[in-house]
Amino acid sequence: MEKLRIGVYVCNCGTNIARVVDAEAVAGFALSLPNVVLAKTYRYMCSNPGQEMIARDIKENKLDRVVVAACSPNMHERTFRHALQMAGLNQYLLEMANIREQCSWVHKDRTEATKKAMALVQGAVLRVEKHEALESIDAHMCPNVLVIGGGIAGMTAALELADAGNKVHLVEKHSRLGGNIARVDLTAPYFYAARDLLTDRVTRTRNHEHIQVHLDSKVIGLSGYVGNFTANIAKTNGTPEKAGNPVAVEIGNVAICTGYKEFDASRVTHFGYGKLPNVITSFELEKMLKAGKVETREGKMPKYVAIIHCVGSRNHEFHAYCSRVCCMTALKYAHEIKSASPNSYVSDVYIDMHAFGKGHEDFYKRSSQAKTLFLMYDRENRPVIHKAGPKDDCEMLIEVHEKLSGEHIEIPADLVVLMVGMEAREDAKEIAHLANISQDKEGWFIESHPKLEPVATTTDGIFIAGTCVAPKDIPDTVAQARAAAARILARIAKGKIEVDAIYSEVNEDLCSGCRFCNDLCPFNAIEYVEDEKHSHVISALCKACGVCVAACPSSAIKGRHFTDEQVLAQIDGIFAEVAYDQAEPVS
Amino acid sequence: MAIRVNPSFIDVLDRYGAEDVQLCYQCGDCSTVCPHADEVHKFPRKSMRQMQMGLEARIETTLEPWLCYYCGQCSEQCPRDADPGETMMSLRRWLISRYDVTGLAKHFFKSKTKELLWVGLIALLTGAFLVLYGVSNGNFGVYDGEGAFLPSDFIHSFDLTVGGIMGAFLLLHALRMWYFTMIKGVEYPVPWWLYFKEILEFPIHFFTQKRYAECDDKHREKVHMPWLVHLGLALGYVTMLILVMVFIVPLQSGPEIKWSVHIFGYLASIGLLVGTVYFIRNRFKKAYIQYKKSHSTDWIFVILLFFIVISGILQHIFHRTGLTEWANATYVIHLMVVVPWLLRMPFTKWAHIVYRPLAMYFAAIKKSAYERQQGRIDSLSVTIR
Repeated sequence: MEKLRIGVYVCNCGTNIARVVDAEAVAGFALSLPNVVLAKTYRYMCSNPGQEMIARDIKENKLDRVVVAACSPNMHERTFRHALQMAGLNQYLLEMANIREQCSWVHKDRTEATKKAMALVQGAVLRVEKHEALESIDAHMCPNVLVIGGGIAGMTAALELADAGNKVHLVEKHSRLGGNIARVDLTAPYFYAARDLLTDRVTRTRNHEHIQVHLDSKVIGLSGYVGNFTANIAKTNGTPEKAGNPVAVEIGNVAICTGYKEFDASRVTHFGYGKLPNVITSFELEKMLKAGKVETREGKMPKYVAIIHCVGSRNHEFHAYCSRVCCMTALKYAHEIKSASPNSYVSDVYIDMHAFGKGHEDFYKRSSQAKTLFLMYDRENRPVIHKAGPKDDCEMLIEVHEKLSGEHIEIPADLVVLMVGMEAREDAKEIAHLANISQDKEGWFIESHPKLEPVATTTDGIFIAGTCVAPKDIPDTVAQARAAAARILARIAKGKIEVDAIYSEVNEDLCSGCRFCNDLCPFNAIEYVEDEKHSHVISALCKACGVCVAACPSSAIKGRHFTDEQVLAQIDGIFAEVAYDQAEPVS
Repeated sequence: MAIRVNPSFIDVLDRYGAEDVQLCYQCGDCSTVCPHADEVHKFPRKSMRQMQMGLEARIETTLEPWLCYYCGQCSEQCPRDADPGETMMSLRRWLISRYDVTGLAKHFFKSKTKELLWVGLIALLTGAFLVLYGVSNGNFGVYDGEGAFLPSDFIHSFDLTVGGIMGAFLLLHALRMWYFTMIKGVEYPVPWWLYFKEILEFPIHFFTQKRYAECDDKHREKVHMPWLVHLGLALGYVTMLILVMVFIVPLQSGPEIKWSVHIFGYLASIGLLVGTVYFIRNRFKKAYIQYKKSHSTDWIFVILLFFIVISGILQHIFHRTGLTEWANATYVIHLMVVVPWLLRMPFTKWAHIVYRPLAMYFAAIKKSAYERQQGRIDSLSVTIR
């Protein structure tokens, strides 16, 4: 075997590394290691000149392996892989030694830290010798998309995808499209009718040549991997015999837009919901508003209307989170009630007024101008509603400690509206299981990154949008739906899916077919090939976590780029004696 | 015991001029900028909240609206344009109608037609009575002395009767104010002797209006003009009232000028004239923030006062220059305005000439009583410890 030519690059990271680690000494030490032909330090290795230096050295010095001792590979492995590619070297012939997060940032003693950096570099050098050139593979990307949920998010995503010419399967478990917005009269703060927002979309979705709407249907199975999923869609109505066989459809990506359900107000005993006839929920008021008259159960016009915010939201007993839409919806009710019966008085009983969105603060002010009485309560000290006495000019009295006046008050009310918050649907768990995505403790689906990847999930090809992720209003929901569609369209446009070269491989000769690994894989990436009696890793689904490699009793599974040889060599390197004093510093 | 919120109160207040109180979101900027608000008196913020919530039981027992002199800085600062200054003003109007037992004040504040009709009626009755008296007892060509159209001893009794009615109502209202603020609105014992201890507060504030002078806005003027004019007007008014109630006989004699009496009349007239013109001009021009909104009662007050001053001066000039018939005619007209103006006083904003110093007096008593109570509590806790 020809002798290897390894280049070692030690980064100062400004003073981040150099302040604690003697980078020159580390480079000098590296040069003393076998097969290392070149070792350099630089102020910022990740900078353009730094990358260019590495690429130039590879060409001029015929380097065939590179070690970069710098930050965490999470930070800059991609950067340096790119530098190798620029010089025509396979990107997997790189190894990084993390001498910042795992060394200079956590140590104070310069000598000891420098010694540790040397050990890490030694490990990296020994490991990189064992690296192999790997090639990433391309998988087919099916342009069809599955959208689950026929609310505003689902329809928006479906239309966006279908308008671009892709086949969309839209699955809705109810018998109509429209979701929760179909239950709403007007929207805040501009009083657009919800019906107007929906009708056009519903008609277009139903008539679109590229959209197949599956009403009264559920996705009961989802297999395969990004670009190559198979979904089984079954009818939910009627008996299983009537429902017929599930339909199997081929799809490349999935957009989950399953929305929310409203909080059950009867869980809050203070409010007497279900017992006092004129305590209603926001959705029950929407029904009245749609019918065009606000009245009590007895058919009278209410003189005093009270709206109670944060029912089920923002307290530790039920949900700690804010449901985001209730504040502005409550203000909308104040306006609508006042215009429906001008002689009525609206008391708005709130915790904090969350007027965060565009036009919301102005809407809040206009609600004040419309003489809405705002009363503030403490989130841990909820109002209590009871029936008024015969002498009172109202049906009910709401007793609460009012924060801004410091008074213990009772508010007259003939009609009480409870602003019920949003909750994750019960069947979100099934969806999560089906699509192999996670839920937080409240049941909302978890994004791949809360800020930078708001619609992606940890499972490739599965996207989430709207109120199944967290409570949000219509503009945010629509924006997310379009974002998810855009992400999917970009992948479809590429036509194929590039799969990272780092994944597990089963040596079929050694595999006994015990199938331990099949159940252990957290990504459902291992399938069992019945005919040949051995397991097979679907490389596109594998995230290279290594669980199967460790678990295999026959040592039949190899983690590419994390082979036993490579890992053991690295360990040897780290634990080998470091000849600290003999290293000649490099400048 | 929970206090009942009255959401419909906001519509009541609207009629008294508090049109924007519902806009307040309780940031407290107004109380921060107010030169008179302190830890005990948290107005205008607290008052705004009580008004929004319709806590009548709290509002009627408070002295705070009288401690505000409407410099308008709060309204300038308000980020929500809730106009706290004008709101405090409206609150004073509401309190005046609350102290009033007859219900007249409520009608005046709520309807300018009713007020004008009432003023007109009193004026006509006064005019008719004076003319009938004059024609049956005297001669239109004689101003004073034997056979005078309106003899000074008759006018004296007339003045005392009108003043007596006015004073009686004013006293009654002040008593109600005392009952609301010092009996209903006090949560700690107020020993009787404190009323004597703090007695000087009333005359001090009555004669100096010094609290208004503390409403200084440094950016505006070197001398606090509104205070100066206010003081001139108030002192002019009191001087004139004393002159007509006590010294009407020497005042009416003539035609020669009795300087020992008339000099006071001239000074008072100057005070009244300057004050009236100043207020009319500022209300007309909306010069300062406190003059931006003028309630109908404000206009009726200044315009009537202006007529009184002008007719009084004219009558004086006519009498001294021998135009007796003219003097008698203007005298009747003068009194036709004076009588409704005086009788109107206990039911309108002008009554604040009494309520304000009274409020300062009561506030001082309350403060002493409160400190006494706190002292007790402190010494009590010391003993327990």
